Amino acid sequence: MRVAERTRPDGGKAAPVVAGPSVPTTTRSSGRKRRGVNREGLEAGRRSTRTLLWVLLAAAMVLYGFPFLYLLFTSFKTPIDTIAVPPTILPREWTLENYTNALGRSGVLASFINSIQTAIISTVLSLVLAVPAAYGITRYKTLSGRIFIMAALVTRMVPPVAIGIPLASMMASMGLSDTPIALSIAHTTISLPLSIWLMSSFFEAVPNDLEEAATVDGCSRLGALWRVVIPVVSGSIAVTAIFAFLASWNEFLFALLMTAIRSQTTPVVIANFQTQFGLDWGSMTALAAVYSIPVILLTLLLQRKIVAGMTLGAVKG
Amino acid sequence: MSTRKTINRFATIGGICTVVALAAAGCGAGGPAATSGSAGTSTVNVLVEAGGHAELTGVAEQCKKDAGVDVNFVELPYDGMFNRLSSEFSSGTVSFDVAALDSVWLPSFKDAVQPIDEIFTDEAKKDIFPALVKEANVDGHFIGLPAWTNAEIILYRKDLFEDAKNKADFQAKYGYELAAPSTWKQYQDISEFFTRDGMYGTDVKGGVETEWLAHVLQAGSPMILDENNKVVIDNAAHKEALDFYVSLTKSAPSGAAQVDWAAAQNLFNQGKTAMTRFWAHAYRQIPKDSPVAGKVGAAPMIAGSAGIGGVPGPWYLTVPKATKNTDAAKKFIKCAYDNNSMGIESSLGLASRISAFEKYQDKEGYESFGPLIETLNGKATATRPATEKWQQIVDTVLVPMLQKAVAGGDSATLLADAKKQIEDLLK
Repeated sequence: MRVAERTRPDGGKAAPVVAGPSVPTTTRSSGRKRRGVNREGLEAGRRSTRTLLWVLLAAAMVLYGFPFLYLLFTSFKTPIDTIAVPPTILPREWTLENYTNALGRSGVLASFINSIQTAIISTVLSLVLAVPAAYGITRYKTLSGRIFIMAALVTRMVPPVAIGIPLASMMASMGLSDTPIALSIAHTTISLPLSIWLMSSFFEAVPNDLEEAATVDGCSRLGALWRVVIPVVSGSIAVTAIFAFLASWNEFLFALLMTAIRSQTTPVVIANFQTQFGLDWGSMTALAAVYSIPVILLTLLLQRKIVAGMTLGAVKG
Repeated sequence: MSTRKTINRFATIGGICTVVALAAAGCGAGGPAATSGSAGTSTVNVLVEAGGHAELTGVAEQCKKDAGVDVNFVELPYDGMFNRLSSEFSSGTVSFDVAALDSVWLPSFKDAVQPIDEIFTDEAKKDIFPALVKEANVDGHFIGLPAWTNAEIILYRKDLFEDAKNKADFQAKYGYELAAPSTWKQYQDISEFFTRDGMYGTDVKGGVETEWLAHVLQAGSPMILDENNKVVIDNAAHKEALDFYVSLTKSAPSGAAQVDWAAAQNLFNQGKTAMTRFWAHAYRQIPKDSPVAGKVGAAPMIAGSAGIGGVPGPWYLTVPKATKNTDAAKKFIKCAYDNNSMGIESSLGLASRISAFEKYQDKEGYESFGPLIETLNGKATATRPATEKWQQIVDTVLVPMLQKAVAGGDSATLLADAKKQIEDLLK
């Protein structure tokens, strides 16, 4: 005999419904029984869907998280442990020596400062250019706007290595060689198209009525953008900013081609642990682990804004 | 309105950050000011591969004291250095005054660097290994001074070789005494002998070409191209060397096609192989907590019918034509030559002058230097062919061919195919 629990609309539990073929019932009680069986089946279905989702989520987390965890564990391994054959996941002996070596290496601190300032300049440049561009494209639906946004997408299709060397030459001819400004401009070429596309989709989700209402209340077009639209898409701006920041923070090729003494960023310094004469896994993973801390913190701090931005437009219809 | 406040806060913080970042960027907060191009200055920017930075750090400090030359290092990973050099040389504007170049890049950049003949005095030429003097001379001018050099030698497990039971068993089986190998036959026998109980006698590196090329030299042929730039990869010596190379796979861990320098070094340092043919610097880089630490011996590279042969791996200090700081750059190179032995005290522990190696060879911890000197002076030792297409030949022909060979391909067919491919590349 199975018992199905019913839930009242107020949240309290109703009397259990007894279900079983041997119980004599009237037509009314037979209807209740069927409803109870349906609810039970529905609940069981929900439970199995939820379990499946959790399993998938766990699998995705392992898939994405394991490489980072492996990097983290390797950063605490002794030199011989880092090259163990077959490799071990956990260190046999925990040590901070790799962190001491990596952070004590000359140029590491300077490279951190360079990475931070390059990423900030590039992010701000991307936003300052992408927000008005995306707003204009979505609000004034012109042919040139459509061509512009497609052209922006096309630039994403060009491999960075194809423009790296010409960009480096251009920066050199402008006297900007080996400066964070040159690298920031180069990084903006990567993040700007992405930012325009992201912001365009976010602006699309904001109803025109909002701006019209603001205009009726006496706002100019620019005032409506600043006072009404931008606050609505603030979460989306945070999402775009994070993508732009990450694009610059992790970029390697342009940094390799354009920086030397004054502006070398940390990805190049991390790569320097691999030399022609060997690979210092421990120090490399230690510096990579430290380098990932700011972006993890940034993501956690802006988590709410990111979720809000990601879901903007999700209920449009 | 809280959202407005948040926006304003973000805008303010963003603005302040940008102003600070721009100001810092303008001031070059992340490092010292570059001085390349300012004629007359005694500060030089030296472009160097990350591993070579350690080699030159001590030298740079000494040069500041002795010659008044201040050095800023531009350190780059090996894999990106060729692209960076190509980019800067082709633009005609360089961010460095001295570049440390891998020997295989010399032919590619020979037109972008200046002659430094005045540093190659007769005395200097006598103190540099003959193969390196030959390689540094391009079109009648010396264009690079070797800062450090390397070559493959034999590293072996001294503890296993000195074990009484191993010695007796080996003698009984092969009829001669177990000792560091000096010939191909001995290398094969010893590899076979130690392949037991989960251990392997040696490694076979299918992912890199230099080792096989050393065997080609030992077999008595110039590697790949002869003196007239004719492709000779299909001659008897190349086939003999390839057959010998492949014969060792039965005494090596499986998956030889994927084994490269890093994998082979790991296998040896983990105690999985009894011998390895490896670059000499690795002797001093065995981790202290390795099971083989303190148990490793070094011997010269093995000899074939033409004698001991190795492929030197030097790096050359060069002066770009585009620098405006030529005098200080040359001053640094001369100073680096004078203080060459200081590189030996670095983590890499190499030099280029014969006298520098000789000074250290009898010291504890430098037991690999004697075998290295012998290998670099070997009768069959020679540098790689001076062709701009060398790296392309290696990546697209030699390594794929070796990988097929160690996986069981027919050596004669593979060499014939390789010859055709190289001829097409050189057309």
